[in-house]
Amino acid sequence: MPKPEFVYTTYIETTPERLWHALTDGNFTERYWFGARLRSDWKVGSSFEMVRSDGSVSDAGKVVECDPPKRLAYTFINLSDKYKNEFPALATFVLEPYGKLVKLTLTHEGFSEGSKFFNGISKGWPAILSSLKSILETGQPLEIPFEALKMEG
Amino acid sequence: MSKPEFVYTTYIETTPERLWHALTDGDFTENYWFGQRVASDWKVGSPYRFVRQGQPSVGGKVLISDPPKRLAYSWEPFADAGREQTSRVTFDLEPRGAAVKLTVTHDDLDERGKTLRDVSGGWPMVIASLKSLLETGHALPADLPTISKETSCA
Repeated sequence: MPKPEFVYTTYIETTPERLWHALTDGNFTERYWFGARLRSDWKVGSSFEMVRSDGSVSDAGKVVECDPPKRLAYTFINLSDKYKNEFPALATFVLEPYGKLVKLTLTHEGFSEGSKFFNGISKGWPAILSSLKSILETGQPLEIPFEALKMEG
Repeated sequence: MSKPEFVYTTYIETTPERLWHALTDGDFTENYWFGQRVASDWKVGSPYRFVRQGQPSVGGKVLISDPPKRLAYSWEPFADAGREQTSRVTFDLEPRGAAVKLTVTHDDLDERGKTLRDVSGGWPMVIASLKSLLETGHALPADLPTISKETSCA
């Protein structure tokens, strides 16, 4: 059995620097990432957290790679009980200039066998990255109700 | 062994009706699909084809036409006629808040064929351009480095 892996590519009319900022600045992520602020000093080995609007931490992991504005990689796992037997999986973002666009490729891999977290991220990433493209191109994120993703739990 | 399939999901701030129009209207597809005009009467069983600069690139038959929810057609690249089996493309449009969730499923693909390679590279670009056009009023710039290779559908 091949291990589960999630790969998503999109093209955004922006610059690598703006896209990098959008991926790493907590004030910015809060606007398009279903309210999640990303918190890290983005040094390799440092902690990485997703922080809800009430200040609680929903997901946590470590920074694995940071090469602005080209490559960013971190591990994370959702901290809810349903994933307590799973280990953090690795998300890698690759930013490539592509004419007047930036090609963004996300690869999320290294999931536990039979991972439930994999099912969750497979539904979450297309919505988050669609909203990211919208906010960079139009100034406004998408208004997708989180419940509309039909995540389990 | 299940055959390979390619699935791509995005969310677009639009209505299902506008998105349906964008997928089925030749003037519209020419704008975001890097010059590819689609033509069909969109009745089940009818032919459809994409034409770019006067040259047919891909065509087939309409398999499902349920506006504004579900559209499917067979996928037969003209340049590969007879060399590769016919595959299938399905578009599912679902309202999600102020957005529409669009899922493109390209299945029945030849395991080692070049169609799988072509569409895996091509769909994210076409759908990204479609999303930009519907949300900003302009498609993605067409002067992309590998555009003829990745979206020629041939």
